[in-house]
Amino acid sequence: MVSVDYEFKKIVMDAHIHDTLKYCYQCNRCTENCPVAEVAPERYDPRNIILSAFLGFKSDIFGVDDTFNLWGCTICDTCDEVCPQNIELTEIFSVLRNMSIKREEGPEYFISQASSIYENGKAIPMQSAVERRRDQLNLPKIQPPNVEEVQKILNITKLNKILEKNKEE
Amino acid sequence: MAKVKEYKMFEGCVIGNRIPFIEASARKVFDILDIQTSEGPFSCCPDPTGLKQVDHESWLAMAARNLIIAEDEGKDIISLCNGCFQTLKVVNQELKNDEHEKEKVNDILKSIDKQFNGTINVKHFVEVVHAVNPEKIKENVVKDLTGLKVACHTGCHYNRPSEILQTDDPMKPVKLREVVKLTGAMPVDYEEEMLCCGAGTGNAEEEPSMQILKNKFDSAIKAGAEAFIVNCPACFQQMDTNQRNLTKMFDEEYNVPILYLTELLALAFGISPDEIGMRYHRARPTELLEKHNLT
Repeated sequence: MVSVDYEFKKIVMDAHIHDTLKYCYQCNRCTENCPVAEVAPERYDPRNIILSAFLGFKSDIFGVDDTFNLWGCTICDTCDEVCPQNIELTEIFSVLRNMSIKREEGPEYFISQASSIYENGKAIPMQSAVERRRDQLNLPKIQPPNVEEVQKILNITKLNKILEKNKEE
Repeated sequence: MAKVKEYKMFEGCVIGNRIPFIEASARKVFDILDIQTSEGPFSCCPDPTGLKQVDHESWLAMAARNLIIAEDEGKDIISLCNGCFQTLKVVNQELKNDEHEKEKVNDILKSIDKQFNGTINVKHFVEVVHAVNPEKIKENVVKDLTGLKVACHTGCHYNRPSEILQTDDPMKPVKLREVVKLTGAMPVDYEEEMLCCGAGTGNAEEEPSMQILKNKFDSAIKAGAEAFIVNCPACFQQMDTNQRNLTKMFDEEYNVPILYLTELLALAFGISPDEIGMRYHRARPTELLEKHNLT
């Protein structure tokens, strides 16, 4: 028996998703057009996540054994295009994933990319081999970003804390 | 004298810091087509399939900071990458149209004495190339690619979410196809043209991502495509580097060259594959280049 978590429901409904979520009538067009549901129908179902989200069934989304139902989305934005109610499903998944990261339930890849961005200002730091290749190809030097500025921003948004918490364990 | 438009080049982390040969082809093609660019000290866009999933506010504020770098020079951004394009354009539009969000972000940016004003635009390079007079592109084609059958793959973040991006038709994009046709090459119709490359899912788990990629490849091969034409480095990497994985996982041989649109144009414009570093492709295009006299 799942229980409704009203606090969770409010967070989802209030998120930056233009109030469309409550208009979902479960027509299943998202799932029918989803490339991930096509290859992993037992483990991934966007319609189902949306249903759990707007009903406030928090325990269906977080703390589950298989996180693929939340993290499997390939972010192709196809469901957003085909939804007859203009629900931005991908944005809602993004809100839920942000919550999942705070619960330290996200896949390792996302934490390591975010760490690289925090440390270097870039998802992929420059390497000397690539710098040489750029020279060989007569490409201009990449202007390095101001990492200090980036870190100032990311400290205010508390990304540093989120990363620290995820790296403990 | 008419003012010459110059864009700020946003090559992004993947092209700039991992597969710079793509940038080499883009710069050569832009030179020939008089698309002028200059560099800027941009950070990661940040990745809409990465950092945005970790923390929305961090993603928003960092993107705004990049937009401000271009605002300071009063220049629009040209992106070589779908992901960077989607992030920068979505954030630009959101902040331009949502005072509340703008205030929130500007509050954060106060810490570095910066402010988002919303004075520039963000363009995908396919849009910019497509807007060049087609005659100008045709007159630069010295190696007619007639007979070359290709599968066009725009990738998802080129045109979706369409309500904000407004690049092309959301489920039947035409601009990439139209530019490809100017070289003489023929885009085939294939069932899975709109299918994602699967890279996003791959960030969580490999197997389903490879299954999506296989569906894409099988459909294009069945339609007679000799190569894919792409305009996103994430798609390029997913498709170029994983063919050996596909062969291993599914016990079928895959060797389909993946060409960036700018590589196809460079070849048609008579630039040698060596000059644009095509030797760095994992799925070797050697056979294809020989067959169509492009070596």
